[in-house]
Amino acid sequence: MRIVIADDSLLLREGLQLLLTEVGHEVVAAVGDGPSFVEAVLTQRPDVALVDVRMPPSHSDEGLRAAVSVRAEWPEAKVMVLSQYVEVSYADELLGTGSGGVGYLLKDRVSAIDEFLDSVERVAAGGTVLDPQVVSQLMVRRRGDDPVSTLTPRETEVLGLMAEGRSNASIAQALVVSDGAVEKHTQRIFAKLGLPPDEGQHRRVLAVLAYLRT
Amino acid sequence: MSDATVPNPTPGPAPMQSSAVGAGSARLPEVIRRFGRESAYLLVGFPIALAAFVLIVTGLSVGAGLLVTVIGLPILTATIFVARGFAHLERVQVAGVLGREFPSVHYHRPAPDAGWFRRMVTPLGDPQSWLDVLHALVGFVTATVGWSFVLTWWAGALAGLSFPAWGWAVPNGGGAEDLPELLGFGQSFAVKALFYVATGVVFALTLPLVVRAFSLLRTGLAQLLLLSRAETQQQVDELVVGRRAARSAEASALQRLERDIHDGPQQRLVRLSMDLGRAQKQAGPDNPQLQGTLDAALRQTKDTLEELRALSRGIAPPVLTDRGLRAALEELAARSIVPIDVDIDLPAGRLPHHVETAVYFVVSEALTNVAKHSGATQCMMTVHLVGEEVRVRVSDDGLGGAHLSKGHGLVGLHDRVRAADGVLNVRSPDGGPTVVEAEVPCGS
Repeated sequence: MRIVIADDSLLLREGLQLLLTEVGHEVVAAVGDGPSFVEAVLTQRPDVALVDVRMPPSHSDEGLRAAVSVRAEWPEAKVMVLSQYVEVSYADELLGTGSGGVGYLLKDRVSAIDEFLDSVERVAAGGTVLDPQVVSQLMVRRRGDDPVSTLTPRETEVLGLMAEGRSNASIAQALVVSDGAVEKHTQRIFAKLGLPPDEGQHRRVLAVLAYLRT
Repeated sequence: MSDATVPNPTPGPAPMQSSAVGAGSARLPEVIRRFGRESAYLLVGFPIALAAFVLIVTGLSVGAGLLVTVIGLPILTATIFVARGFAHLERVQVAGVLGREFPSVHYHRPAPDAGWFRRMVTPLGDPQSWLDVLHALVGFVTATVGWSFVLTWWAGALAGLSFPAWGWAVPNGGGAEDLPELLGFGQSFAVKALFYVATGVVFALTLPLVVRAFSLLRTGLAQLLLLSRAETQQQVDELVVGRRAARSAEASALQRLERDIHDGPQQRLVRLSMDLGRAQKQAGPDNPQLQGTLDAALRQTKDTLEELRALSRGIAPPVLTDRGLRAALEELAARSIVPIDVDIDLPAGRLPHHVETAVYFVVSEALTNVAKHSGATQCMMTVHLVGEEVRVRVSDDGLGGAHLSKGHGLVGLHDRVRAADGVLNVRSPDGGPTVVEAEVPCGS
């Protein structure tokens, strides 16, 4: 895959570059701030772009702003945002930029290389990837009397994984159960929460997230 | 104004000059100038104090007497303003006499949209108004006494010393009317002149002391009644400003430290973990021993990174710095191991930095306590802005027994909340449940 990366730290930019090239990807541009990221993505048209949230010049949410403006110019852009901490509103903004092909991960996840590469590939393929912490942050907003509390522990687990953007196959793999079992769980969850039956993957994530935040 | 350019001031008597020469001629003009200022202050004191006393006593009696009718109130208020006027005059004089600046006095002001009644009553409710009145009454006594003494001493000194110049012209009415004659010094003009000049010298030598003493008495009274409140207020204002500066200096130092940790060791550790991950991939699956070592190294790196992150969250949580209190609290809740209910009601904008920090650490410390010590299965976080105050409440269904003195991290928290003018309250009977509550005001 052709990849653009943006991080203001040279150290991490190099690390990412080595990591990605060694598994056969091509890093077509590596930049250090928001405006050059936007420019690099729009000229290079990579398969996927990775961007750090905290970058110059603003040193707060520059990377997110850049990701949003890239998607406004080029809606099919696949963008993965890496952040030092979880902020649900970041994920919101990103998901609001269109259908699929977005990811929001904590920077720490990079060191679990295989999972990280898997997430990058899922985003490149048009999937949606949310950090488990984003999901747990959405889950804790729940009060005691809502239908989520009627879910069994296993169903809650499956709901969390769905919200992270995983497909049924990926959930089955993570929980070490059969695809059929996951299918049954998801059907029951949709029924209990009154959500529309399973559609496209990104729409499913949106439905689950929309539910979690009401 | 430099001393050299100042002309020798008004009635500076000769003895003063000669006695001060020894002290150093450079300082001489200032000593004399002050003496002149003090004399003038004391000599005009009586007429001013008399006018003030008469106007204010009359105004107060009439105003208070007529208070039952509508007209009493405006008379009282007008009297207060008269007292303020005289107080202002006195402050200006005192500042001139003492040659130093005093903080300006700020009276209570009615709100711009206040009605006429409010405007009438506000001056009456200001304690400084009544101190001004009190000064007019007490100051009348000190001004009168001071004026009498100083006038007498000045007259004695001037008349005695100049007696030889005019004494001969006074018709001697016959009989034993002069003091030297009564004392049996004879009645020649030379003796009289010598006697009166000697008396004049005594007056002149003690005149500076008398002037000084009454000047101290009157300025002291004015400082006590007219200026001490303003000075206290100024000290309070300075402390408030100082504390604000200390807070913001502390906050920016901590944020810089956090940024340094993030940009330095934290990034190196992230890079290290990337490289170790790559090494694992490069080593391939057929070297289990190497894989094991790399695995252990990677785990160590991740743990170190996590510890470092926890450390910098304790210094200045970046999510709080960048995104504000709500985001930071939600992040805390998401990290809670014990299931938690969250109820946050905060305005969209940012609160003062020290308030956000205090609230964040109350919740953070309380949740740490829940996770480590309570054995709770459920907890609840409530953070509401009520009026001008953030109310925080973290409760759990655990074993209780948390105490401010037990070193559960709650002691340091108590100080932190106090520093933000807030109150921390921990209720945790043995057997539970535990409730940690804090109220932090948003004003400075």
